[in-house]
Amino acid sequence: MDGIVLQDVHLDLGGKRVLSGLNLHLTERRIGILGRNGSGKSTLLRLMAGLIAPNAGVVRVAGLDPARERKAMLSEIGILFQNPDHQILFPTVIEELCFGLIQMGLTRAEAEARARAFLVAEGRSHWEAAATHRLSQGQRQFLCLMSLLLMSPRMLLLDEPFAGLDLPTQARLSRHLDALSQRMITISHDPGAVAGCERVLWLETGQIRADGPPGPVIAAFGAEMARLGAADADTDLFG
Amino acid sequence: MLTLTSSVEIWAHRLPAGAKLGALALGTVGLFALSSPLALGVAALAVLGLVASGGPRFLRESLLMLRPLWPFVLIVAVWHLVTGDISGGATVILRMGAAVAAANFATMTTRLAEMLAVIEALLSPLRLFGLAPRPMALALALVIRFIPVMLTRIEAISLAYRARSPRRAGWRILMPAALAALDDAEHVADALRARGGAG
Repeated sequence: MDGIVLQDVHLDLGGKRVLSGLNLHLTERRIGILGRNGSGKSTLLRLMAGLIAPNAGVVRVAGLDPARERKAMLSEIGILFQNPDHQILFPTVIEELCFGLIQMGLTRAEAEARARAFLVAEGRSHWEAAATHRLSQGQRQFLCLMSLLLMSPRMLLLDEPFAGLDLPTQARLSRHLDALSQRMITISHDPGAVAGCERVLWLETGQIRADGPPGPVIAAFGAEMARLGAADADTDLFG
Repeated sequence: MLTLTSSVEIWAHRLPAGAKLGALALGTVGLFALSSPLALGVAALAVLGLVASGGPRFLRESLLMLRPLWPFVLIVAVWHLVTGDISGGATVILRMGAAVAAANFATMTTRLAEMLAVIEALLSPLRLFGLAPRPMALALALVIRFIPVMLTRIEAISLAYRARSPRRAGWRILMPAALAALDDAEHVADALRARGGAG
C-alpha cells in the first residue's frame, strides 16, 4: 500500500500518553501537520520515520513497518531534524554526505564520487573538505537536506524546517523544497509554513483536531491560537 | 584536531595518508636510533627543508604549531646547562624538535577522512577478536565532530550562568554540561538510526 498508514496508534513516553487513537492514511504530495509546542507533532514524525515504535496500533510506510525494516526505510523516508546540530554526525562535509550512502551499501569510493558530483551540481564543490561546525546555521540545515537527498528517499519528513533561519535563507530553502518531486510532510507551529500544502492536519494533545485542505484548517487553528493567547495560555504543568 | 589540517595546499597533500604515516613512524624510530648531535642536526635540517618545501606561508604556519614545544625546550636547555652536558641537551632538543615537526607535517597535509581511513585499516586485525573496525572509526569521527559542539554548549551554559550571577561559573556548570551532553547523545542516536544505524 502506498503512503503512510496509521491504525489506532497509541504512544506513551515517560508514562505519559503522547499520541492517542490516531487513524491516518497519508498519500498527498504535500502534507502539513500543525500543532502547538508539546502537541506531539515531533513524536508523530519520529514514529512515521520508524525512530520509535508505537505502544499499540500499526504504522506502515509503503506497506512496511518502519521501526523494523530499517534498511528498506533508508530509501523510503528521509527525516530532517529541527536542529541541524542534532543531525550532523561527522566533522567534515564530505563524510557527512557519504555516511547515508555507505549505509545503503555503496563502497566509500562510490559514495565519495556520488557526493562530489552532487556538490558540483549544487554549486558547492568548495564545501567538500569544510569543517561542519564552521558552517552557518543555514548552511548546516542545507547540508542536512543534501545528505538526505543524496539517499534519494521517496518521502521527506521535515521538522520545523524554517525555524532559526533568517528570511533570505528561508526563501532559498523553501524554493529548493518546492522544486523536489518527493512526497513531503512538514510539521510546524507556524500556519505560514504549511499554507502551500494540499492537506493539513491539526494535532492537539496527541489527537487529530482537524484534517483537510489548508484554508479551513489553518483558519480554525489561527482562531483557536488567538483565543488561547487572549486567555492566560500555557499554565498547565507536565503530567 | 579539526583545524590541524593546513588550509595551505602543498604537494604533500596529494600523497596517500598511509604512506605519510608509515614514513613518519619509520623516521621517528630513526631519530631515536641516532645519538650524535651532528647526525640529529642533519636530520632536523632535513625536516626543516621538508617543511620549507611547502612555501613561506606553510613554513610560518608550521613554526606556529611548534609553539607548545618551547617550554620543554627551555626546561631541557636549562637543565643541561646546569649539569654541563651540552651535547646531551642538544641531542634531546634536536630529536624532539625534528620528531614533532615531522608529525605536524604529516598531520597538516592529511585530510581527516583519510586519517580515519588509515586508522580503520590499522584496526582491522582486531576483527579476529570480534571487534569491528567500522564502529571504532565511526566513534573517532563522532568524538572529533562533537568536541566543538560540546565546547560551544559549555560556553553557552557558562554565559547563561554569568548573565545571572556575579561569579564565574567554573566547576558549577559541570553537571548541566554533562546532562546537556547526554541529551545531545540521544539526538545523535536518533540521527544514526535515521540513516541506517552504526553498523
